[in-house]
Amino acid sequence: MKSLLNIEKHMKGILQYIRRKLSIRVSLSVVFFAAIIFIVALGFFFYQAREAVRQEAINRAMQTLDKTSLRVEGILNRVEVASEMTKWLVQRHPDVPDSMFVYSRSMLLNNPDFYNCSIAFEPNYFKDKGRYFSAYTKHDCDSLRTIQGGSDSYQYFYMDWYLMPTLLNMPCWTEPYMDLDVVTSTSEMLTSYCQAINDKQGKLIGVINTSLSISWLSQTISAVKPYPNSYSIMIGRGGTYFVHPDTTKITSQTIFTQNLERPDTALASLGHAMQKGEEGVKQMKMDGQHCYVFYKPLGKTGCSMAIVCPESDIFSGFDRLRNSVIAIVLVGLLFMLIFFIRIITSELKPLRRLATEAKTIASGQFDAKLPELRRIDEIGQLSHSFADMQQSLVKYIEELKKTTAQKASIESDLRIASGIQMAMLPKGYPPYPERDDIDIYGQLVSAKEVGGDLFDFFMRDEKLFFCIGDVSGKGVPASLVMAVTRTLFRSVAAHEALPDRIVTDMNETMAANNESDMFVTLFVGVLDMLSGRMRYCNAGHDAPILVGSGAGLLPCDSNIPVGVMQDWKYTPQETTIDPGTTIFLYTDGLTEAENKDHAQFQEKRILDVIRQTPHAPKQIIEAMTQAVHQFVGDADQSDDLTMLALQYKHQQPDIYYQRSLTLPNDVQTIPKLSGFVETVCEASNLDMDTCMQMNLAIEEAVVNVMNYAYPKGVKGMVNIDATISSKGLKFVISDNGKPFDPTAKAEVDTSLSAEERGIGGLGIHLIRQIMDGINYEYIDGRNVLTLLKVI
Amino acid sequence: MRKILIGMLAVTLFYSQPVTSQDKKLKADKLESETTLVFTPQWTAQAQFAGYYVAVAKDFYRDAGVRVRIEHPSTTQPAMTRLLLGECQATTLQLCQAIESIDKGTPLVNILQTSMNNAMVIVSARGKDPLKQKGAKVGIWSVGFGQLAMCMSIKDHLDYQWVRFAQNINLFVAGALDATLAMSYNEYYQLIQAGVEMNNNVYRFCDHGYNVQEDGVYMTREYYEKHRDLAHRFAQASRRGWEWAAENPEEALDIVMHYTEKDNIATNRVMQRMMLKEVLRLQVDRESKKREFRLRPDMVQLASRLMLENQMLSREVKYEELIEH
Repeated sequence: MKSLLNIEKHMKGILQYIRRKLSIRVSLSVVFFAAIIFIVALGFFFYQAREAVRQEAINRAMQTLDKTSLRVEGILNRVEVASEMTKWLVQRHPDVPDSMFVYSRSMLLNNPDFYNCSIAFEPNYFKDKGRYFSAYTKHDCDSLRTIQGGSDSYQYFYMDWYLMPTLLNMPCWTEPYMDLDVVTSTSEMLTSYCQAINDKQGKLIGVINTSLSISWLSQTISAVKPYPNSYSIMIGRGGTYFVHPDTTKITSQTIFTQNLERPDTALASLGHAMQKGEEGVKQMKMDGQHCYVFYKPLGKTGCSMAIVCPESDIFSGFDRLRNSVIAIVLVGLLFMLIFFIRIITSELKPLRRLATEAKTIASGQFDAKLPELRRIDEIGQLSHSFADMQQSLVKYIEELKKTTAQKASIESDLRIASGIQMAMLPKGYPPYPERDDIDIYGQLVSAKEVGGDLFDFFMRDEKLFFCIGDVSGKGVPASLVMAVTRTLFRSVAAHEALPDRIVTDMNETMAANNESDMFVTLFVGVLDMLSGRMRYCNAGHDAPILVGSGAGLLPCDSNIPVGVMQDWKYTPQETTIDPGTTIFLYTDGLTEAENKDHAQFQEKRILDVIRQTPHAPKQIIEAMTQAVHQFVGDADQSDDLTMLALQYKHQQPDIYYQRSLTLPNDVQTIPKLSGFVETVCEASNLDMDTCMQMNLAIEEAVVNVMNYAYPKGVKGMVNIDATISSKGLKFVISDNGKPFDPTAKAEVDTSLSAEERGIGGLGIHLIRQIMDGINYEYIDGRNVLTLLKVI
Repeated sequence: MRKILIGMLAVTLFYSQPVTSQDKKLKADKLESETTLVFTPQWTAQAQFAGYYVAVAKDFYRDAGVRVRIEHPSTTQPAMTRLLLGECQATTLQLCQAIESIDKGTPLVNILQTSMNNAMVIVSARGKDPLKQKGAKVGIWSVGFGQLAMCMSIKDHLDYQWVRFAQNINLFVAGALDATLAMSYNEYYQLIQAGVEMNNNVYRFCDHGYNVQEDGVYMTREYYEKHRDLAHRFAQASRRGWEWAAENPEEALDIVMHYTEKDNIATNRVMQRMMLKEVLRLQVDRESKKREFRLRPDMVQLASRLMLENQMLSREVKYEELIEH
């Protein structure tokens, strides 16, 4: 297991190395394709050559077989002719037994290569010759011996050679047999041609048997050796081996013998084919060796000869040639591989240097010196291109440096601008920790460094001035307009308490010089802290949501955004805010916040969040922020997201003391007022100085009403209501004269001389100095000025 | 059982010594006749006689106090002839042959019966059923052994034309015969060795009511009566030889091959192994499943009556005529 892991590790290492080396990869590819071509070409060549060798072997073996067969055929024919002639003679003189000896002897005399000859007759054929009569002639050294061959101990008519032609009813050759010469103790392989002799009536009278030694044949066949390890066999009709390299098998075994113990279908098939006298070639395994066996019958003997040639012999020359060629090709391919690797490595050397230099350049040394190549090939072109690229790169990097520096500068500016912009927004919550009647929380998240959203609020004269706006466009231009808007709001609202007027003033200013055609959707509200009355004006902004016992949109008129058109009359609206109600203001960055599927957050979700959240401003905004983030997910913030929430929490104070005074608009009645104020101050336990100051302030306010509220000559009344409550001392001065808001007067610059200052304004300044709070409201046709003193 | 050599040459095997030495030998034999027994199996050396070769090689005869010399027959002197001429004192014969001899006037005694079953078969050429080959030319041994086949041919109305042959299976293989008789331990395997396929072309006599015992060891009653003890000891030692061969077939085969090689018999070990196996199988009685070494009276009666019915005997030869008294 461990070794397998090691092998795998090594293999991975080798593959990794090959992947890194182009030269090896290319060389291997070339050698691989060359190897494929070689394999195909040599495979085809080897196949053809092998076929040719095989065919040659077949031809060669078949020629040998044909030659042997023809030779046998020739001799057999001679025997057959001689036998036929003798038969003719016997048939002419069938009744002369002694002439049979002559015929038999003549046969051998005329054919000295014949082994013996018998002319044997049916038992008791010749009445005077007894049961047996067989004229038998045989070579006996150099002479011929002719005898009567039949006896009780040799009953020839039971012999194969006698029975076979009679049973088959035709001349035939017997199975070869070994004839043992007892005298010389030598054996001779014989085969006999047997021919039945019939009389004129066709009745069998005897058989002529002419034997022929086929020892020469067996020697000839044994000697047939077309290949060094080939051998020949000869079998008879019964499959008996008559020629075999293993001499112990001759006559004692048949081709089927070994099949009895170890079935071998191929050998059995060969045996049957040879027995049937077929001619052919078989490819089979003999004694564990792959061989070609060529076989052919030997004339009419019934025998068959086979040449067994081991494949290794037949193809030995071919195999040597093939192995040599393969070895040459392999060595050649190896050299080719080495050669290619060296060549390619050498060719790629400049490229490697180039790669090293490129790495140096990549590390930041743009002035690194590239190798000089005087080549015009692809590598040379690459080198030149690389040099050009290096120069371009140097230039580009320089430019990039500049651009980056510029960008960094801009970014720095933007950061500063963002800081400035953020500084414009109220911060530090709660903004009025001393007040328990209002809770405010606001948040602006810019989509870019600087944004065009704004919100603001400030408290003046017991009135909360607040606004929220969204400048068209984004980025720096929008941020500048935002700054202008916010500044305008502050400056206009400083002396103007009515939102429509504030918006109108701002519109006039902004529309007058609006060359860039930018505008602001703006909602301005003024919440009277004492009464809960909220005046507002909406210049194309999203309507705020009032969150009280329920949640709903604040009805808003359709006014155009600020800065679009001069002279637009913005309509004022007002409503009363119940204590506990939260006003939730937002920009379209909230409703139009998009997720990845470009679905928008929309008002419905805002209302859902609000319904599930306590009404405290901070909680609402935080819950809303979380809901938006959850909704948007990973999508980029596309617009500034601004939210402002105000909760009005005014509680009516406990009143301990209450007194009223009504005066005509005649300054002569002022002493009454002084007495009234003193009485109230006393009830309030104020010290004398404070009482005097209070008296001064109230007098100033009342005189102001008496002098200016009514046209000259018109009688009017001034009501003064004094209340001492848990919140302090409150004087409410009301009249039904012409509307006049003393708080709307710009703050007097007391640093100027009386000549330099405009007329009026000092009174209200005095009042502001003395009182802790001043508030003006025009309610139901009456001017209502409230002055507060915390005690 | 046919010798592949042309028979006439074998004669010299037994007569190759000079006359003078033979005379001396005969004299010596006479001297030893009281304790020496010449045993002639009915054919040339082969595994059919393995038990006797083993008894010699393993000294079972010597242990029994019998000096035994095995002399094989020749074509000029078949076993029976040798027995009648006194050339041998014991020989193996098939039961039918023994019955025939007794009927012809030569009283014989079966001193050991080895075969318990009949081994004869008919093998037809070209895969035909022997029982459907009416009038076929069927090869039969010229020296006998075919009595049961002749009875069967007559009884089953097959009217075979018997072709007597002296030699081996060549006639059949050459296509000159329609069928041939064969012994299941010898020619049957020779035929297989010659590439003849055995399927439905084999008729086994033992399976068709002709299960008659075959090989047994016989002596002339005359000799037996004079040498009862010797005969008995010889038979017992021979039986011991067979029992040893059954237990040690490969070693027995070595001994057999020694005899075949000595006599230049054209055979091979594979053939002899199969022969020994079959001969040993035939020695086991079908009913008792034992190697009984006894002549069965029922089989003697069956053989005798069959041969009598078919005019091969002049009288019925009884079991008692064959056994020791």
